[in-house]
Amino acid sequence: MLKMHNIRKSYRTDTIETHALRDFSLQVNEGEFVSVTGPSGSGKTTFLNIAGLLETPTGGQYLLDGEDVSSLNDRDRSRLRNEKIGFIFQGFNLIPDLNLFDNIDVPLRYRGFNAKERKKRIEKVLEQVGLSARAKHLPAQLSGGQQQRVAIARALAGEPRFLLADEPTGNLDSLMARQVMELLEFINEWGTTIVMVTHDPDLARRAHRNIQIVDGQVSDLQHGTIGAAREIA
Amino acid sequence: MFELKPMLSALWRNKISALLIAVQLALTLAIVSNATVIVQDRLEKMARPTGIAVSDIISVTFMPVPVNYDMAGAVAADLELLRNMPGVVDATVTNQIPLSGSGSASTYFTEPNQEIGGENANYYQTDEHFIDTLGLNLVAGRNFTRADFDVIGPNDTYEPRVAIITQKFADVMFPGEDAVGKYFYSGGDGEPREIIGVVERHLGAWPSWSKAGQVAFYPLLVTGNHKRYLIRTEPGQRDTVYKQIEEKLAERDPQRVIHLDTLSKRMAQSYISDNVMVKVLSAVMTLLTFIVALGIIGLTIFWINQRNKQIGVRRALGATRANISRYFLVENTLIAGAGLAIGMAAAQVINHFMVNQFSQPVLSIPTLLVCALILLGVSVTAALVPAIRAANISPAMATRSV
Repeated sequence: MLKMHNIRKSYRTDTIETHALRDFSLQVNEGEFVSVTGPSGSGKTTFLNIAGLLETPTGGQYLLDGEDVSSLNDRDRSRLRNEKIGFIFQGFNLIPDLNLFDNIDVPLRYRGFNAKERKKRIEKVLEQVGLSARAKHLPAQLSGGQQQRVAIARALAGEPRFLLADEPTGNLDSLMARQVMELLEFINEWGTTIVMVTHDPDLARRAHRNIQIVDGQVSDLQHGTIGAAREIA
Repeated sequence: MFELKPMLSALWRNKISALLIAVQLALTLAIVSNATVIVQDRLEKMARPTGIAVSDIISVTFMPVPVNYDMAGAVAADLELLRNMPGVVDATVTNQIPLSGSGSASTYFTEPNQEIGGENANYYQTDEHFIDTLGLNLVAGRNFTRADFDVIGPNDTYEPRVAIITQKFADVMFPGEDAVGKYFYSGGDGEPREIIGVVERHLGAWPSWSKAGQVAFYPLLVTGNHKRYLIRTEPGQRDTVYKQIEEKLAERDPQRVIHLDTLSKRMAQSYISDNVMVKVLSAVMTLLTFIVALGIIGLTIFWINQRNKQIGVRRALGATRANISRYFLVENTLIAGAGLAIGMAAAQVINHFMVNQFSQPVLSIPTLLVCALILLGVSVTAALVPAIRAANISPAMATRSV
């Protein structure tokens, strides 16, 4: 599903060059649920940005679903993000001026679906996250957990094959966090590949596999089932 | 495609800033469209054909020093001198300078002793050389002859027997008829004046007068304390002749005060208020449009700065750069469209008031639409640079925590 080989990413100012990722190689198979952990500044977000085609690597090769996406132009990267990748952000990143229905509608409009198709998909995902009755509410009228569920619904509406979650429970209390995590596990069971960046070791242990990034490199790869991962941890 | 419904919904939740820009645009359109119609009217007025070879004509006004001055003799001798100068086409005597803002007018009737229902016309006392001197186009009848010409004293009672009038005056006096051979009368008298000729056009003394172009010419010299000549030169010779005239006239008779002007200058002086009005209104229109453009640029930049994160999220969700630019341009167009729609109504109300209270010209729908389109273009152009800047916001903004 995702294959990175010797990915490098550096940021340069007039005086300093910072290497965020160095010879970063990783493979995520279809249907996997992979957690990514690491200390602050280790390169987790840079990895997520490159994996989600939000940034381009300085070097190396990145294959997404078999397609080399390292050197795609901006338009093609936008199209791939829209069609193949779903994003869940730590801060939910819902558009505050739009109600839930319109928030979920945003990526579907960019996809070019007609109004009927969009409505069908939005109603379906809102039902899946248990917020059908709140479709006309604004994000500010929801709790943090509900907002994250809307964000998940927005990510799912386009039926992506690959879901990238950036600290999806970072802003939630433990009860809400557990609900969101269960929802992600449920989504993964449907066959969606998930890569989740988290600080929370308990959440990381629930993934099929945990990857630790330190100083821009994969420092530890743990393969196995959820149970095995828990055992190793 | 254009996200109109969510865009309108988002605008509704940020309506104060949007409303301010819409109101600014509405007021600008109301003012600019009404100013445009005034500018158009003034420009059209200044561009009207005068019927006169303005750029080749020099005017001379002289006042003799002696009390018992032989004005008739002086005029005859001066005109003889002027007509024989190199570069001069012709010269004529006149009681007033055309287009100068100074002149004489009277009310004329088609029936003797008629006192109501007359038509006003500017009139000139001149001679048989006035058509060639002014470069007028005689479209019917004949020119004056020397036999038609009379000389009278300033206190003499005299009614001209013949007249040449402009086509415009002919049309109002005798609509749909051939004026040549017809008679008209000055207010309250029964002395007929026969129309012997019609000239195509002569704007008269006052270009701003509502009856400008209604002119009558009489073959007459009224001797008095001063006289005026008009001298037409060969094309390109005006300035050369101008320098020689005063010297030649003074040489022939030094006992008088002579003042020269070009007709171009006199005409420009007549239009000075129109010119000032055009310049002031144009400056106001430009300034208002500039201010509204700045407002739009400022508001769009403000909104984009406010929505940096949101733009990043949209990009992360699949928006292309073009989608982002288009979003802000369409949003701006919606605000501008609403403002201009209000502005069009306001412009009509203001124009109605201006027409009734100040006799200003009527604002036509095409003029209003053109003004609205220009402002819409300014608005879209003003939003373009910020919109392109917004499109360059990285999708990685979505994952930044600040």
